[in-house]
Amino acid sequence: MRAARTAYPLTWRIMDALEAFAAAVWPARFDRAIPWLMLAPALLLVGLLVLGLIQIADTSLRTLDTSTFLMSEEYTLANYNRALTESLFATVAMRSLVGSLIVTVITLILAFPYAYMMVRTSSAILRKLLLIALFLPFFIGQVVRAYGWLIILGNQGIVNEAFGLIGIEPLRLLYNYPAVLFGLVQYMLPFAVLMAAPALTAISEELELAAGSLGADWVRTFAYIVLPLARPGLIGAGIVVLTLSLTDFAMPAILGGGSQDFIANAIYDQFFRTSDQGLGSTLALLLVAIGSLLVGLLFTLFGAGTLAMNKVRR
Amino acid sequence: MTGALSKKIVLWAFVITVLVMLSAPTIVVLGASFTAGNMITFPPEGLSLKWYARIAGASDLRDAFLRSLYVATICTLIAVPAGTLAGIALAKYAVRFQKTVQIYLLLPFTIPLIGSGIGLMLVLGEARLLGQLWPVGVACCVINLPFMIWAVSASAASLDPDLELAAANCGAPPLSTFFHVTLPAVVPGVISGSLLMFILALNEFLVSLLLVDARIVTLPVLIYNSIRSIITPDLAAISVVFIACAAAAVFLLDRLVGLDIFLKSK
Repeated sequence: MRAARTAYPLTWRIMDALEAFAAAVWPARFDRAIPWLMLAPALLLVGLLVLGLIQIADTSLRTLDTSTFLMSEEYTLANYNRALTESLFATVAMRSLVGSLIVTVITLILAFPYAYMMVRTSSAILRKLLLIALFLPFFIGQVVRAYGWLIILGNQGIVNEAFGLIGIEPLRLLYNYPAVLFGLVQYMLPFAVLMAAPALTAISEELELAAGSLGADWVRTFAYIVLPLARPGLIGAGIVVLTLSLTDFAMPAILGGGSQDFIANAIYDQFFRTSDQGLGSTLALLLVAIGSLLVGLLFTLFGAGTLAMNKVRR
Repeated sequence: MTGALSKKIVLWAFVITVLVMLSAPTIVVLGASFTAGNMITFPPEGLSLKWYARIAGASDLRDAFLRSLYVATICTLIAVPAGTLAGIALAKYAVRFQKTVQIYLLLPFTIPLIGSGIGLMLVLGEARLLGQLWPVGVACCVINLPFMIWAVSASAASLDPDLELAAANCGAPPLSTFFHVTLPAVVPGVISGSLLMFILALNEFLVSLLLVDARIVTLPVLIYNSIRSIITPDLAAISVVFIACAAAAVFLLDRLVGLDIFLKSK
């Protein structure tokens, strides 16, 4: 008997011990709590963000005492008053909102044909190439990409040098609004294509062929078949692009050169330039609110698109 | 077939525009890193590897890169168990308040990054944890956690629950079933999720910028600080490190799970 027992592999005996341990500390009648036990680490991690929001809300209700540089003890709404009345913040908010809307429209127009080509092409090599071209910048990070644009668009950059060769005066291509929007479009393209592509995959190619055989040219097929069926993907992509570009920091900071601040830059400046944590927190909380309202509005207007929760599970 | 031809031309015009936009910065940074001159000019003043020699000897750049690696490692080490368990739980069990839990777990994506970053900065400041590096890893994990949960729950949803019942029927106790049936089925999701978590934490910029001080800057923050003053080719050379890491990640992702997985309709 003893010999047979030692013949068990070590891993079996370890597993047996673990099972016995698990059964002892976790009797079967607690089974209903198992999913919650498995969710607990993730819930706790995200809890840090909730704590952060509470902390922001608390700080936003305190004003900065400019003589002592301490936050006031009692709560006041003075920061909200300042954030909503000072024209600087209205300018920045309008710039961000209009900018992100323009970026969303341009990005969707550019991303849709790319996603269509990627899904529909019969060449596996072309599909892989398009996918790699998409993922590489996505993984490289914003700062390096913005750095690349600085080299290309700078005063002594590639574009201006090329202009010089054909006799065009150097143009100031950086540190203006279009430069920021251009950088944002480039940053958002991978997100938009990856959100739109699954919706295009779901459209059967026979539908397009059928439209064609009934006499529709490709423009009409696109307008009446592909675009309406791809709507969930386009809405999902639009929401992601809109919220990400509305709240972006790096592109306005690097390609805007401080003159084209978006909301995120204004918040950063309140914390690290003027050290007014109260006002900075107020702006941050307002941004969270604007972002959530915008997403909620789009959800109610167009539906949740590919972002819908029930689609994540079968 | 003029219709088919015009469709081809229009589609290709868009695709090439996007390809150029996506690739231009990468190609230009690669090219600039090999210049022999002291400035980034066009056309380049000859080829050399001198800027690579320069960054190999620059301890601040090397330290910043090591710190970024450390942050990405911490992030991945936390995200893999937390995200895997949560992903399996969401896909397998009908939890009460399922909708609420899902919305809650998506908070890192719905709260703007600057809001998350400021909030974490205030919380870490209260806890006297600012100025250390490991909280930055935790923060990167929190803001990207939905990627990990998504990847795992997508894999887990395609696992037939009958397989687990079959294992139990053959006498496997719960833990054995978990380790031999459930976990192997979600491995593709765990791999793609952890790759995403690692690479996103490696080049995470904004949250790093908010949480680090001058002594512990990570590489993206260092590059950001430098391009605000003067643009020299050594920055291009160090940026190539990021490009190489991204290329490795794309290659691995393609090899291990296939990039085509992202085209599948849900």
